[in-house]
Amino acid sequence: MPRALPRGALPAAIGTVVRPLPRLPLAIALTLAIRGLARRRPELFERLRSFSERPVAVVPTDLPIAFLIVPAGADAIVEVVHPDDAGDAVATARAPLLVLLGLLDGTYDGDALFFSRDLSIDGETDAVVALRNALDDAELTPAELIGVDGALGRVFERAVGDALRVAWRLAGAPATSMATES
Amino acid sequence: MDASLRPDPLELVCPAGTPAALRAAVDAGAHSVYCGFRDETNARNFPGLNFSPEELEAGVAYAHARGVKVLVAINTFARPGAVEVWRDSVDAAAIAGADALILADLAVLDHAAAHHPELRLHLSVQAAAGTPEAIHFYTETFGIKRVVLPRVLSVEEIARLNREVAIETEVFVFGGLCVMAEGRCLLSSYATGKSPNRVGVCSPPSHVTYGDEDGCLTARLGGFTIDRYGADEPAGYPTLCKGRFRTDNDYEDHLFGDPLSLNAATLLSGLQAAGVKAVKIEGRQRGKAYTAQVVRAFRRAVELVAQNRATDDIQALLAPLSEGGGDTTGAYQKTWR
Repeated sequence: MPRALPRGALPAAIGTVVRPLPRLPLAIALTLAIRGLARRRPELFERLRSFSERPVAVVPTDLPIAFLIVPAGADAIVEVVHPDDAGDAVATARAPLLVLLGLLDGTYDGDALFFSRDLSIDGETDAVVALRNALDDAELTPAELIGVDGALGRVFERAVGDALRVAWRLAGAPATSMATES
Repeated sequence: MDASLRPDPLELVCPAGTPAALRAAVDAGAHSVYCGFRDETNARNFPGLNFSPEELEAGVAYAHARGVKVLVAINTFARPGAVEVWRDSVDAAAIAGADALILADLAVLDHAAAHHPELRLHLSVQAAAGTPEAIHFYTETFGIKRVVLPRVLSVEEIARLNREVAIETEVFVFGGLCVMAEGRCLLSSYATGKSPNRVGVCSPPSHVTYGDEDGCLTARLGGFTIDRYGADEPAGYPTLCKGRFRTDNDYEDHLFGDPLSLNAATLLSGLQAAGVKAVKIEGRQRGKAYTAQVVRAFRRAVELVAQNRATDDIQALLAPLSEGGGDTTGAYQKTWR
């Protein structure tokens, strides 16, 4: 019998599509997005203190890529690598992409995902905890991450929010009232 | 029941580890929010968590504008030679406009009572004051107005206690559950060399590691293996008191306490009848998603109890947020006796 997919996992075909795509453009875009965010809201990175120089790997378990993040504010770096090449990280957080996105926007509680085994971590636990707490306070919106505000930003946010709710439902992501309410 | 005969509604005291969580708690229906500074003066001193003095001031303004109180926890025990760190936190909370301080240490209580007589003082659960005599001492010496009771009393014991004390009592009703006497537990200190009661972190993340061994998630604290979870087994916090141990006769189990969350939602009516003034949700280390969901569920529950109506079944609603995926009424019912 085939093993059941983890809750919230994307279909394997999406991983097949992503595999050959060039990673550098995504890495550059994410690096610029985080550096821009640090310039607009430097207080978000003050929570990280001594952890800002420590690289953390975030691994979507349903995709053949990993994000190696050094959250050093305006000097932040995001590398997009193969999961096997994230060895420089002091700590790693693993979950399906949709679950990680729910953590990023505050829909999910990290401890609850850990209790239910939807999220796993290894390495220096304090680096992951610090990053998780800083992100949870950030109240990041998709529009803010890409630096769009005003009416265009609100339209973008609504569209991304709607798409995520549909994706969470279709992928059987862990239930929370915030992940399913319209 | 005649409305005039009904007891006051329970005050819902909710956790906030970050400014975002404070706003989530306020928006979800908290009557009061409790939080702490970003240092060792409070018992949730986790990396990336807590408030700067400026963030606290902004949080107080947000809460007060919506009729919600802010209680500041400065509830660890001061280090000898560094009491000024705790005194400074008391002063900063007063400047920020806190409605009350939650304290445990005698020197810190003395400073607050002497220098901020206008501030309400609550006795933290960390003081483990569970007898009328102990509570009288804190009341007469420092003028405390409320005691947060240790999580070792049954509802009947709380009712008896309330008949013998003149101040308000507050009890935990949801979240992480210490099975030891708060403020006196040395298990994490033994394993890590860092006392939760002084530095504010039980099982500090700097001393916690997780690894996949033989298909099991293995949790270690200070090098001690404290549990191994099978592939589909719910996990708990990496605390020694919830660890799984093997005895000499090869009996293996959670010998001190099961990895479960406290959930006393079904006991709210009994707690109110026992004279409890406020009910508290644990979880300043949790995300704002937890805060919003738990606060919303308990706000509805305390309102139904105030109307003498049955509460919804919020057990199932909150189970996904619970440690180990399960819950217990803990000492309130003492079913193990």
